[in-house]
Amino acid sequence: MNLLNISCKKATYLVSKKEQGKIRLFDRITLQIHLGICGVCKRFEQQTDFIIKNTKHTHSEEKLSEEVKERIKEVLDSSY
Amino acid sequence: MNKPSLQAEEWVVKYGDLLYNYTLQRVSDKGLAEDIVQETFLSAWKSRETYKSDASEKTWLFAICKNKIIDHYRKKSSSPVQYAEVDTTDHFFDEAEHWTKEAQPNEWGINYQQPVETKEFYSILAYCKKKMQDMQRNVFVMKYMEDLSAEEICKVLNISSSNYWVIIHRAKLHLRKCLELNWINS
Repeated sequence: MNLLNISCKKATYLVSKKEQGKIRLFDRITLQIHLGICGVCKRFEQQTDFIIKNTKHTHSEEKLSEEVKERIKEVLDSSY
Repeated sequence: MNKPSLQAEEWVVKYGDLLYNYTLQRVSDKGLAEDIVQETFLSAWKSRETYKSDASEKTWLFAICKNKIIDHYRKKSSSPVQYAEVDTTDHFFDEAEHWTKEAQPNEWGINYQQPVETKEFYSILAYCKKKMQDMQRNVFVMKYMEDLSAEEICKVLNISSSNYWVIIHRAKLHLRKCLELNWINS
């Protein structure tokens, strides 16, 4: 029984291994058992999956300053 | 034929901001991002002979930029100051390794299946990434933005596989918590 009983710290660690497809069968079973009874860790899995899914699409509109653009052009010019 | 430097200047105008945004999302430091963009253009310029027109100019520049970013991670991890991972997540769990009240994930009340498209989310995500420890951010970015494999990341950063899993775990704990505090609870 104790063998199948893992802590939340361990469970959340295993969530990443599962998500990356690198979890051993035994760990997968203990994790499933844990997530079945621990709503908080289940939530951790859902939320971190959500973050990962949304991390690639970035809406950033920062601009290089004109000074930096000029500096880069100068560097390119002088390397010619 | 055009004066060669005209082509380079055109690149800076056309792709400068795009490459800068791309880099800034991955290194979270403006000065550093500027330097990487400059190096990208310089390398592209020097190797322009090797550019084959079967890839678009844009794809080619982004590939160079991506390599520059990974080089930066590599350089950082091989610098003489050896990386020592301090456990900054010990307050997330109690002695029995269960969640502490302050750190446990709360219900967000959103549909996790639906992609977010608000600017607010992305600016908070950028803020939270910036607040992460360098190593955690680097690993997170390489894995989830650059799609490198765990093995490749370990090689670039010169870390062990168990180190890698610990860092990924901590990165997620921090990032999730930061988003909950600043995005959900705000």
